[in-house]
Amino acid sequence: MTARTAARRRGTTPRRLPTIKTAVIAATAYIIALVFLLPYAEMIITALRPQRELLERNYLPHHFAWSNLTNMWGGGFGITTSLRVSLEVAGGATVLVLLVSLPAAYYTARHRFRGRNLFLLIVLVTQMLQPTALIVGIYKEFLSFHLIDTVWALIMVNAGFNLAFAIWILNAYVGSIPVELEEAAMVDGSSRLSTLWRVTLPLAMPGVVTALIFTFIAAWNEFIAALTLTTSNNVTPLTVRLDMFIGQYTVDWQHLFGASVVATIPVLILFALIERRVVGGLTAGSIK
Amino acid sequence: MKKRLTLGVAIGSAALLALAGCGSSKSSTSTTTLAFFGADYGTGPANSTTKYWDAIASAFHQANPGITVKVQTVDWTDFPNKVQTLVQNKQFPDVLEGDTAPQFAQSHLLYPASDVLSPGVLGNLIPTFLKDGQYQGTDYGIPFTTSTRALYYNKKIFAAAGISSPPQTWAQLQSDAAAIKAKGYIGYGMPLGSEEAQAEALLWFLGNGGGYVNSSGAYTINSAQNVQTLRFMSKLASAGDTQPSPGTTDRKDVWAQFAQGKIGMVLGSPAVIPIIQAAGVLKTSDYATANVPGKNAPLASTLGVHDDIVAFNTGKHAAAIRKFLDFVYQDKYQLQFDNEYDLLPATQSAAATMEKNLMFAAFLKNIPNSVNYPSKTNWTTVENQIKTTLGQAISSNPQKILNSIQHTAASGG
Amino acid sequence: MPDVAAVRETAGDQRPGAASPGRPQRGGRARRTRRRLAPLAWLGPATALIAVVVLWPIVALVQTSLQRITPIGVTIGAAGTKNFRSLFGDPNLPGILVRTVTWVVAVVGITMLISIGLAQLFNQRFPGRRVTRWALIAPWAASVMMTALIFRWMLQPDNGAINIFLHQLGIVHQFNSNQSSWLGRPDSAMAWMIGVAVFVSLPFTTYTLLAGLQTIPGELFEAATIDGASKWRSYLSITLPLLRPALVVAVIINLINVFNSFPIIWEMTRGGPGYETNTTTVFMYNLKESYIGEAAAMSVVNFSLIIVIVLCYLRVSNWNRQEAR
Repeated sequence: MTARTAARRRGTTPRRLPTIKTAVIAATAYIIALVFLLPYAEMIITALRPQRELLERNYLPHHFAWSNLTNMWGGGFGITTSLRVSLEVAGGATVLVLLVSLPAAYYTARHRFRGRNLFLLIVLVTQMLQPTALIVGIYKEFLSFHLIDTVWALIMVNAGFNLAFAIWILNAYVGSIPVELEEAAMVDGSSRLSTLWRVTLPLAMPGVVTALIFTFIAAWNEFIAALTLTTSNNVTPLTVRLDMFIGQYTVDWQHLFGASVVATIPVLILFALIERRVVGGLTAGSIK
Repeated sequence: MKKRLTLGVAIGSAALLALAGCGSSKSSTSTTTLAFFGADYGTGPANSTTKYWDAIASAFHQANPGITVKVQTVDWTDFPNKVQTLVQNKQFPDVLEGDTAPQFAQSHLLYPASDVLSPGVLGNLIPTFLKDGQYQGTDYGIPFTTSTRALYYNKKIFAAAGISSPPQTWAQLQSDAAAIKAKGYIGYGMPLGSEEAQAEALLWFLGNGGGYVNSSGAYTINSAQNVQTLRFMSKLASAGDTQPSPGTTDRKDVWAQFAQGKIGMVLGSPAVIPIIQAAGVLKTSDYATANVPGKNAPLASTLGVHDDIVAFNTGKHAAAIRKFLDFVYQDKYQLQFDNEYDLLPATQSAAATMEKNLMFAAFLKNIPNSVNYPSKTNWTTVENQIKTTLGQAISSNPQKILNSIQHTAASGG
Repeated sequence: MPDVAAVRETAGDQRPGAASPGRPQRGGRARRTRRRLAPLAWLGPATALIAVVVLWPIVALVQTSLQRITPIGVTIGAAGTKNFRSLFGDPNLPGILVRTVTWVVAVVGITMLISIGLAQLFNQRFPGRRVTRWALIAPWAASVMMTALIFRWMLQPDNGAINIFLHQLGIVHQFNSNQSSWLGRPDSAMAWMIGVAVFVSLPFTTYTLLAGLQTIPGELFEAATIDGASKWRSYLSITLPLLRPALVVAVIINLINVFNSFPIIWEMTRGGPGYETNTTTVFMYNLKESYIGEAAAMSVVNFSLIIVIVLCYLRVSNWNRQEAR
């Protein structure tokens, strides 16, 4: 019996008790959030250490070298180029995934056809693999397509390795939309394609957004395929560029950590914008 | 009407002339493209080695308009993987910088050095490194940059610990390290992690008359002397005279700590100097170099390493490669590279010029009698196993680990 | 994550316009051909992309595992089953397999336990909930490699922030001692790496369970409270069963991600000392340096293991299907 129920029985509702419980919950949540952010705070602090204080035994350096964060934008570092390339790759992969997975998911959700289970199974299996093991074969392939050292190669690889999840989420979402809604629209004279666009898609939007964010993050942080398939400076994404800070004799920790904080920001912005949608998106996908 | 016709004819003939001009210039010279793949010695995009090679490539192209060199570099950690991927896909570059020759030569992929270098340039290369890139008696590996090792010691820490001169024997090193540890610093930095365990180990092995191969070139990794050496190193570590967990510490970390004034002694190449300067903690007068200590006396021959250029015969560009390499090995480019990355040159003339610089002089004089890694074809495999497993010898049975490496070495051949 | 069985059962034949009598039947044969070719148009691009990017390289991988390749990458002939035999004869392999199982079970188990609690916590209403939920995303948004690097940085024996903190707590007595070298000792290194793996897995898992919690109607709880059920009892008999599909999804995704996990171990210890903190995925990378054919064989073995996991998943979710009814 909670205090609140007891109070209600007594006929009075004390105003402070629920707040204490909420306060405890809030405090716990704040502490946990802090713990989650601590490593990244350390990243920023390390990025701001001047060279002579790099290995000092303290939480905060005596001086903050703000120039470490500003001088990495210079032409020599190529961070801005890589930022652009990463955006192109992640954005392109996301768009490609959505374009390709929507029809496939829609069809498997609405039709029962021979080979349907095989298709979904193969899709499932590809979710289980990572580029690391397959990288030599991937290189050989793109070599024959003459796509080595292009942004398109990275877009295709990232799209291919994230397609499975997108198909599944969209499959579930479209499946949960009552078919009657579409039938009603078609009876009213709209074509199948325009029904898909005007009726199904808006209702499936949480799933679309979920697939979008997952693919974007995966493509944004992908490293091994980017390393193998790119050679020139103007097509290296951020993950590969950051790796350059690990040299043969030293590691440029400040720039490495500073640049990786910068690399996280676009993802965080994207996430903040659609956080609510993600939670909604995962719901329909998992609970069936 | 007439005007339009005249205009039309004029434009048409101009176009024809232009096309003819294009055509004729195309047919008079045929452009060769050389693919260059090298390692990146820099620590970030700002001092990436790509810049060095790009500058050479464009200067070369100006001098030889018929040959274009396409440059690609990869940082060292990913270099072996990238080369592997290229080779597996038969995407051979024309010129590769940073790897060793014997394995490629064994697969008949390389031009002999004499095919791709003028005799003058070939003769200018430092003999001991050139000899190391031979396969079955023919020169294949062309040393591009080299380095030797010495003992760096922190004079300030030495003064604080009451040590007057750098150690010459292992016993002195042990007592010095213990004295330094008592003052709260790390005595000796021993990097036996998977980055470069083979270098640190060899410098110790040599001190006891051991090494990876004997005088006739056969592998003697599990010799009694080597086991004894590892036992001594293990004693140092367990007494706390070194940094903790030498078996998993990399050279990068140990050099960084030395540069920040936390370690008393460390073995290093000239590349430690810019790290010290960048850290800004030690002044030039605070540190110095000395010969590597051996069991009973300092090492007569220290470790010498070299990164080679090899020329692939798969593209059949021997003449173009020769022109390019002759261009590359000019003194000014050698010196530029070595000054930028604090390494040593591979040509005798460049070395002579560099000797004037006091900081490098100590390292340069060790070159003629330096010991290199074995130049056997299975050395890469053996080296990889040393890198991964040798660190364990500090905390577990050295004989067992060395036996296992010797087994791999002997069975490869 | 939708489960295959569920979709199979509930989808049925939901073609819009399939059964409506009012539609005029267009030319029979053309219609049948179009219907047979219809899957091609809808599924074609997806199948093509997967076939090109994933399936073909798998074939190349299997081929490689049956060849003899020099360390620099030159193929010198067929190897038959030699690569597999060498792999299974490797004395390091049993220890690595055991460690892989430990790694997967520990990381997934701990992640699930903590996530259940976190999801419950973040399902409550409190001021600042939005901001704290957003902070939870940080490990997911940052690349796993960088998170592993920052933890390695914080665990440095001489000056790492974690060691400074533990020293203040009195747990670490001396800097630069063996005790402070957490990543140098295999057991403590594994413990820390498991911690980091849990850390990066928590965001996705928590959000999955959070979504599951938010679909449970509140009326169920009110009804249970009126019936006199305690909080704990209603949690066990209402929440957990309804959360089961989300739990299964989270477990499977985590199993796969953790099994394939590479950057954490590679950046923190490289699998060292020796092979004492290796898992099969990292071992494959180790092998690739000298024994390319054997590395491919290891990948094939890994791939088979994953397929076994897939089959287990299908069975579990099927069984689960009946229960939820």
